[in-house]
Amino acid sequence: MNRSSIVAIVIFAAALLALLSIGPQVTRQIQATFFQAISPFLKTGSGLERKITSVRTGLKSLEELEHDNTALRVENRSLKATNEALRDVEHEVNRLRHALNYRQRSLFRLVPAEIVSRDSSTWWRTVTINRGKDDGLASEMPVLTDEGLVGRTTTVSENISVVLLISDENCRVAANVEGTREQGIVTGERVAGSLAPLLDLNYLSKQAELKAGQKVYTSGVGGVFPSGLFVGTIRTFQVRALDSQAKLAPAVDLAKLEDVFVVIGRK
Amino acid sequence: MIFFLLLVLLVFVAQLVEIFLPPLAWMFNAHIYIVPVIVFYGAMALPFPLMLALAFFAGFLWDAMTAQVLDGHVEISFGWSILLYAVLAAIMHGLKPLFNRGRWEVHCVLSGVCTALILLAQYSMISFRRGSLIFNREVWWQIGGPGLLAMLMAPLIFWLLHYLSRLTNNPYLPQEEGFDEYAPR
Repeated sequence: MNRSSIVAIVIFAAALLALLSIGPQVTRQIQATFFQAISPFLKTGSGLERKITSVRTGLKSLEELEHDNTALRVENRSLKATNEALRDVEHEVNRLRHALNYRQRSLFRLVPAEIVSRDSSTWWRTVTINRGKDDGLASEMPVLTDEGLVGRTTTVSENISVVLLISDENCRVAANVEGTREQGIVTGERVAGSLAPLLDLNYLSKQAELKAGQKVYTSGVGGVFPSGLFVGTIRTFQVRALDSQAKLAPAVDLAKLEDVFVVIGRK
Repeated sequence: MIFFLLLVLLVFVAQLVEIFLPPLAWMFNAHIYIVPVIVFYGAMALPFPLMLALAFFAGFLWDAMTAQVLDGHVEISFGWSILLYAVLAAIMHGLKPLFNRGRWEVHCVLSGVCTALILLAQYSMISFRRGSLIFNREVWWQIGGPGLLAMLMAPLIFWLLHYLSRLTNNPYLPQEEGFDEYAPR
């Protein structure tokens, strides 16, 4: 081994040890700075992704058109393409109107945000949103849609933030079951084989008698999530040796998230 | 040095591209990882100090992107990915004589194996931290799937990088024929 390699190893080891010894706060600062630095790329990439998706949808419609009417293919293609474009606009208008209504009638002060990217790693379920400290966001703020709870913010930089989804095993939410006194902790699964995984509601009492279809809401215990947010609906329920467990279908389709709200306080 | 800087740039771009690549539903949500393949090529085509620098950069990006700070602790400390990259890249670097003789297929296979090993190491650390070990079909696919994909992508990515290596007159190229048969001269 030559001298330059030894020097390189020493420098590498020193830098690595320095990084390994940093605490959570510094880690968050490094991440926030990093996300801030790459935010233009993320936002541009997100825009491109949406355009590509919309082009793909348009091509599918053309295929359907060819099936429907071969004789008037040319004319139909043009008319249906226009229709498709208008439908996209209509969908967008409806979505935004829906979101605006929810924001107005909500009890919370909400900051609307758009999903910029999702699930960039294998082991953690996160999404990145296009809002940050400049919009009043901070770490550990609940994120939701008009349908229910989505997760909580973790790393927050000036104009971009990371949201840990409720489908992640680390996102624990104190919850209670509608119409009962049962309380438990909702967590995600460590490894999910599908884009819309189920949630676990653990630590229910052994005497619990729950049925599929019952709704689960946040209980407000723990301080991060306010009470009364819809978390999910019970799919299955089983009594175990020491407690009971229920499997929930999340209230929000996490695989199709487009817009979310961050709760920054009460009105 | 130009080639090293080019690899650094490519690692950065690949890391950004990975964010927008959706997980593969038909492979139990396995992700596609391009960065490890680039780093492992760098391990063969760069001298040891630059290989370490590249591994450091790639590991830093990975940790900056994925480290989870929850309830006042970091789940996998910042820096572990750097160490993993460095160790695995050093193993690949040790097999450089094979690459110099034009036997690059071993490195393609190893790129896949090492990519899977990084994920396996991460998963083991997470399991240790969370206090329970779960190994089911989904876990194996999410570890092995990206490795398999990296193995399949490696020949193409290696060929492209080798092409760039020649274009930038990288002085650490293999001396003998074989892998660079079709590369520009």
